[in-house]
This record gives sequence, structure tokens and C-alpha cells, in this order.
Amino acid sequence: MIALASLDWRAAARSPRVLIGAVLALAVVGCALLAPWIAPHDPEDQNLVASLLPPFWVEGADPAYLLGTDGLGRCVLSRLLYGARVAVYVAVTASIGAMLIGGTLAHLAGYFGGRVDWLIGRAVDVWMSFPPVVLSLILMVALGVGVNNVVLAIVLVDWTRFCRVLRSEVVVVMHRDYIAAARLVGFSHLQVIVRELLPATAPLLVTLLSLEMGIAVVVEAILSFVGMSVEANVPAWGVMIADARTTMYQTAWNIVLPILAVFVTVLGFNLLGDGLRRTLDPRLARGA
Amino acid sequence: MPLLEARNLSVAFGPGAVPILRNVSFSLEEGRVLGVVGESGAGKSMIARTIAHMLPPRFELAGGEIEFRGRSLTRLPERERRALLGKDIAFVPQEPLTGLNPVLTIGRQFGEHLARLSVPRAARERLAMLMLESVHLRDPQALLRRYPHQLSGGMCQRVLIAMAFAGDPGLVVADEPTTALDVTIQARIMRIIAEMKQRHRTALVLITHDLRLAAHTCDEIMVLYAGCVVEHGPAKQVFGEPRHPYTRCLALANPSLSGERRELVALSDHMPGLTELAGIAGCRFASRCPIRGESCEAIEPQLALQSPGRRAACHHLDRVAGIVAHAASALAPAPAPAAAPVLRVEGLTKRFSEGRSIFSAASRDVLAVDDVSFELRANEFVGIVGESGSGKSTLARLLMGLEPPTEGRILIDGRPLDPADAGSHRLRIAALQMVFQDPQSALNPRRRVASIVTQAMEAGSRRATWTQRLERAHRLLGDIGMPEDSALRYPAQLSGGQRQRVNIARALCAVPRVLVADEIVSGLDVSVRAQLLNLLLRLKGERDIALLFISHDLTVVRYLCERVLVMYRGGIVEAGATRDIFERPRHEYTRRLLAAVPPDDLNSRWAGLEVPADEIEESA
Repeated sequence: MIALASLDWRAAARSPRVLIGAVLALAVVGCALLAPWIAPHDPEDQNLVASLLPPFWVEGADPAYLLGTDGLGRCVLSRLLYGARVAVYVAVTASIGAMLIGGTLAHLAGYFGGRVDWLIGRAVDVWMSFPPVVLSLILMVALGVGVNNVVLAIVLVDWTRFCRVLRSEVVVVMHRDYIAAARLVGFSHLQVIVRELLPATAPLLVTLLSLEMGIAVVVEAILSFVGMSVEANVPAWGVMIADARTTMYQTAWNIVLPILAVFVTVLGFNLLGDGLRRTLDPRLARGA
Repeated sequence: MPLLEARNLSVAFGPGAVPILRNVSFSLEEGRVLGVVGESGAGKSMIARTIAHMLPPRFELAGGEIEFRGRSLTRLPERERRALLGKDIAFVPQEPLTGLNPVLTIGRQFGEHLARLSVPRAARERLAMLMLESVHLRDPQALLRRYPHQLSGGMCQRVLIAMAFAGDPGLVVADEPTTALDVTIQARIMRIIAEMKQRHRTALVLITHDLRLAAHTCDEIMVLYAGCVVEHGPAKQVFGEPRHPYTRCLALANPSLSGERRELVALSDHMPGLTELAGIAGCRFASRCPIRGESCEAIEPQLALQSPGRRAACHHLDRVAGIVAHAASALAPAPAPAAAPVLRVEGLTKRFSEGRSIFSAASRDVLAVDDVSFELRANEFVGIVGESGSGKSTLARLLMGLEPPTEGRILIDGRPLDPADAGSHRLRIAALQMVFQDPQSALNPRRRVASIVTQAMEAGSRRATWTQRLERAHRLLGDIGMPEDSALRYPAQLSGGQRQRVNIARALCAVPRVLVADEIVSGLDVSVRAQLLNLLLRLKGERDIALLFISHDLTVVRYLCERVLVMYRGGIVEAGATRDIFERPRHEYTRRLLAAVPPDDLNSRWAGLEVPADEIEESA
């Protein structure tokens, strides 16, 4: 955690990208946490009399359903808010999981070099030669349906991204003499990695983490769209998009709103990641 | 009419800021050589950049005028400037390898350059070969087909010199043309530049940090300090009897290769940087000047004519002669080295295998260190000299265990070290510590100074409290002559010399008995280098410490060390007491190294210049 504390967060907070990204991401996380209190209806409550109501700014709307209802008369706003829980849960756990596996292997490969580097490098090569969508579908078939299995699938597919990018950064830092100097004052290998290497790679780590959250949201939406994620009675954005396909010619809003939710969330995480990369990386910050 | 004339040239960082180059005036006649001498940050390169109209981003011309053959270079339309630069005014860069495009052959680049000079296509190859021959490059035909990475740095620099003179320019600006090259090549490059200048009757602006080099190769010298010209005059006079205190200190801060050893005059502190200049009302040198008076900090001295052709800017010119170097007897008397060696190296060899892969069984072995043996006693300073590629740095890495040796043993107090054993590693680092070459790279930018210098207290299972570490840091900083309040700063907030001190302090924290120092003063300015050399000598007097000082600079080794080992192609070719080696070198290579250094006595010829330029073979 020393590594994270040493980053220049104040500089990051001045960047408009980071600010906008953080506001969007926090808004989505806030919706997810507060869903049970701010949602006007139970997301699974069906009101078949009031099905396919449009959102409030369109004529014929019902003020009780601000964003309208779907084909089964369920409140779209409530379903979006509850859907955010699935999205945020998957984004946070999957990206942290991928970071832990990929980051650890990257630091080991870059620090020890030689055979360790070769072995981990080839493992990543083989892993990446599977098309990611096919790999995750195969994993889902093997693991079975369920949101935790989605997380596991994303971790198993995407750790390679962390490993590749971080390893090259570790190799760059390894060429600095202060790494050798730390060994020469008696630091153990673990101490060098944690106290000297990690603070230098932390900016990239944070950036990749943020970008991975956006990717995880999209992957979860795809898998729940094809029915391989959450159970049928759990509201998720992918499920909403799938449900709305049958009625999209009557009310396009039912399909547009969950897509917008995915869009805003991913945009938030990506802006945050890109902004952090620009402000925390001293090489880029100096030029700006 | 002079060829090049600058009048009150000023360059500032942004409008209204304090000028980084202030009121610089000079003129250069055809065929003459002007040396611009100063430390880094003095504004030397700004002069070259102003001529080329290539100031760094956000810097701008704040005033003054620079004329070439009576035409203003500052107000020239872009089109005419392009016609002039590269043709009538040519440049020789500092880094020869970055001056050439790595993906194009020499022939292609030379051809493009000649095309710009509107040489007809048919004549280009012949002219290129002629020019390459004139800089003493052998087999120019084959050279034209090669890529820059296949040539050595010295050869690349010669190609660039040939290109610069190809257009028969009136003026060549050479910005530190030999700084990135080895000592023995320096003399040869300077000789080639002198020859080419003679042949093409070109005027030359030579920008350098080396006052002695300038004295040997220039007609006039202009000394810059913090953006101001402090002294200007005929080269031999400026070097022989400097009028300005800064020039005098600069000359006395340089150790010499012959004569009596004298203590170096080390100016305190460092040259004021861009931000500090704003607070200085008077003489910019006043804070470091050994002869400053009351008026100096308030009133800025003007550059005034002292005698025909000599200008200097100082209020107290009469006191300058009072700055003298003490004889070496004033240096801490060297305690007699102990009898038993602390460190002993026996037949140390390191072989790197190149090109071995699963696709090719054949490998090419490179002997980086070849059967090296020596001893080091407590309290003894031993220098290792040699050019780049001689295996000096690999030897240091082998000693520190950063690389395993292929053969041979390292013994500490008679106990052999086993590279694979953790106990040996502890034994090694308890006795040996290393000071790295580049403090920029050797100091973790995310740690405070106190945390860096006491890093040894954090190692392993040791748990020192921050108060304990801060206390130790204060003592260490005192030892190396740095203020206590620097303990809480980050390396980025220190000057280059201070960073190198911190680098030394870290190695001292564990109280080692041997310091291995790899080129630790080569990146520093002359006045800062003198501070560090004196610091090392003081440490020697204060603690029983031995030093293995790796350097390419013979003058520094002569100043510091009692014994010298000369390394050439991985092996030690000559070893002995410093005095013997410098006065009676036996090996051919040692003689060549000594001849490459410009002598202090301007009347004796610089032997490096005498060696025919194509005699010494150069391996790429």
C-alpha cells in the first residue's frame, strides 16, 4: 500500500479526464450500492396492465414509472439500478483478480528474468493464442452459468493483458541502478519487488485496473445477453437488452437505455484510466 | 566585416523572464576558432541553437542581434535560412549516433545531404568518397554501404564532420563534438576538425566544457557563467593567466597530468539555475566567488576591456591572483596502507556468449574480463583506467556480485566468496559497497533523501524507526557536506553534484571497508567534480576506507589514487604506483592514453594531435 500512497493523486485530481471519469464511475457505483433504497419498484414486480410504457418525456407516460416499463410491465429504472449491481460487482472483482494474477507473474518474470521470464512469457503466448470470446464461452460451458463464473472467466482470459504490459514496464525499471543498489544494501528479493519495483509500476497498474473494469462491464453484458451470466430472475443490463429485442419496434427506449448504461459506465472507467495514465506516469506528465 | 557577429544577444524562458543568456556579444573573423567554455547550464548550447534558430520549446530571443556576413540571422525569412543552414553554416552534433538515421546507409544519408547542397547526382558518390577520405576513414566505398550501428562512435563523428564540411561552409558550429567519445579518440577528432578547417578556410565555434582542450585548439576563448560572458580573450592568455575569478577557479579545479600534485580549488555550491537567477541582482558569480566584496551582490559588473583584446567582468580584478591552489602536502597525509589485503581478486574472468539460441548452435564468445588479479589494502585508493569497452564496469559488477564470474575467485579478508551462497552475499555487502555512475538512475525518485541514505537500515529483518533513521541520515549528510534540511527532499529537488553525494552517502551508511566507484565524477561539471574529489580525499583521512576508483579520466586518477591498474580489452596490461606509471609508462596502450590528454603547458605540443589520424585502428 506504500506503493499507492506514493502516487501523485493531487496532480491526478486536477486532470479533467480523471474528474469526469471518476464522477461517472462513482455515480454508477453509487447507484449499485443504493439500489434497494432509491429504486421506486421491485425490479421483478410485473404490472401487466401497464406494460411497454414510454419514459417520462414521451407522451403517454406514467409518472410512477419514470423510465417506462418493459414487455412484462417491470420498472425499467429499477431494473437499471439493480443491473448496476451486477455490472459493478463483476467489474471490481474480475479486474482485481486479473490484476493479482497478471501483476504477480509480470513482476516475477521481469525481476528474475531468464528461465522464469521465458516460462511465463510462453504461457502468456499460448494463452493469448485462443480467441478470447471462444475461450470465455468454453469456460462458461465448463463452469456453468452464474455471475461468479463470469468473474472467473474474465480473470482467466484477461490476466494476460496485465502480465504482458506490466512485464515490459518492470524490465524498464530493472535497468535503473537503484534496483541493483537496493540488493547491495541487503534487500531481499521480495523487499526489492515490493519496496522498489512496485512503487514504480503502480501508476501503470492503477491505469490497467481502471481500463479492465470497463472491459469487464462489456464482457458481463455480452455473457448475460446470451444468457450465460446471471440467473433469469436477476436483472442485468445484458438481460434487459436481450428481453427488449422482441419489443424494440414498439418502444426503442427499452433497448436504448441499458445500452446507454453500459456506454456511460465504460466511458467513465476508460476516461479515468486514460487520465490516470497521463497524470501518474512521470514521463507523460512532464511533457503535458 | 566579421563573418559572425553577435550583439547583446539575450535568450529567455518565456516573455519577460530572467534571461538565461544575457547580453552576449562577440565577433568571429573568417578562418578563426572561437571556444565557448562553460559548465552545463551556462548557456553555451543556447548560442549554437540561436545560430541554428532552434531554441528549445518556450525559449525565445529576448533581444540582441546575430549577423552572418552582415545578414541578420534572427530576422531571416524561413526560406533563406534553410538555404543558409547546413550549407554556409554547418553543425557537428554532440551525440554522433543520434546525428545519423539508424535505418539508412551512410551512402544514402550522405547522398541526401549532397542533394540538398545541389551537387549533381553524378558527382555525389565521388564527392562523398573524397570527403570521407579527407577525414581519414579507410575504404570509403565499403563505408557508404554500411549502417551507422556498424560503425564506432568516433567513425560516426568523422562521417558527420565530413558531411558538415562537404558544402564548403563559412562557419562550422561544433557543440561538444568529443564529449561522448573516448579520450584517445578525442585528440584524433580535434585533429581532423583542425585539418578540415585549415583546408576549407572555415571559421569554427567550438563549444566545450574543457578549458584545457579549448586552450589547445582555439584562437579565442569566451567563458560563460550562468548565461553571462565573464571573460573573453586570446586562448593562450585566458588559460595561462585568467583575469576573472571564475576562469581562474575553473583552471585550478582541474587536476593536472604533470608537475606537482596540488589541492583542487573547489567552488562551493553550484551554478544558479533558471529559477534562482531571478533573485540575483548583482554579479551572478558572487555567491560562489572566493574574492567577493560588499558591492558584488548589489551591483552587476560590466564586461569591460582590460587590455587589447581581453575583456572581463569583475569588480575586483586586482585580487584574482590571490586565488591559489595549495600544494598537495596540504592534502590529508595518507596513512600507510595496512599489510593484509581487504580484497583480493584471483584470475577473475567473465565470458559473455553471444548469438547462442535454439536456432543456431554456433556462438561467439566475448571475453569482457580476462584473467584479472589484484589486491586492495585498507586505506588504499586504487584507480582502474581504460576506455569504454575495456571491461572496467563489468569488473565492478563482478566484484559486487551483480554478475557471476565465469572463472576466478574473489576473497575478502582471505575468505573466498561463493556467488550462489546467501551468507557470502551478506559478507560481501558488509565489506564492499558500490557507488553507481549515474545518480539519476541510482536514486529511487520516489524516496526521500533520508530514506535513500539509510536504506541499509531497512534491509532484511532490520526494523529501525524513522527517528533513528533520520538521526543517522543527518550524520551522514554532515559527513558528505550537505545541509541537514536536505534530508526530507526528493532526488529531483537536488542538483547533480548533491545527488552524487547522496549516492556516496548511501554506500557509506553500512560502514563498508571498500568503496567501488564506477565513473562517479564523469557526468559532473568541473567545479562540482573538484568538490567530490576533495570529499573522497577527506573521507580517506577520516575513516579507514579503501577505494577502487574506475575512471577513463587519467588526471582524476592521478589526483586521487596511489596505485593504478590499466585495463585494455578485458585484461590488466599495466599496474603499479601512480607516479611510476604516469612518468614511465611501459605499455604501448598506457602511452597512448597519456598522449591523448591535452597537456597543461600550452607550449608543449599535444602529443595526441601528432599521431597520424589513420594510424590507430578502431574497432566498431
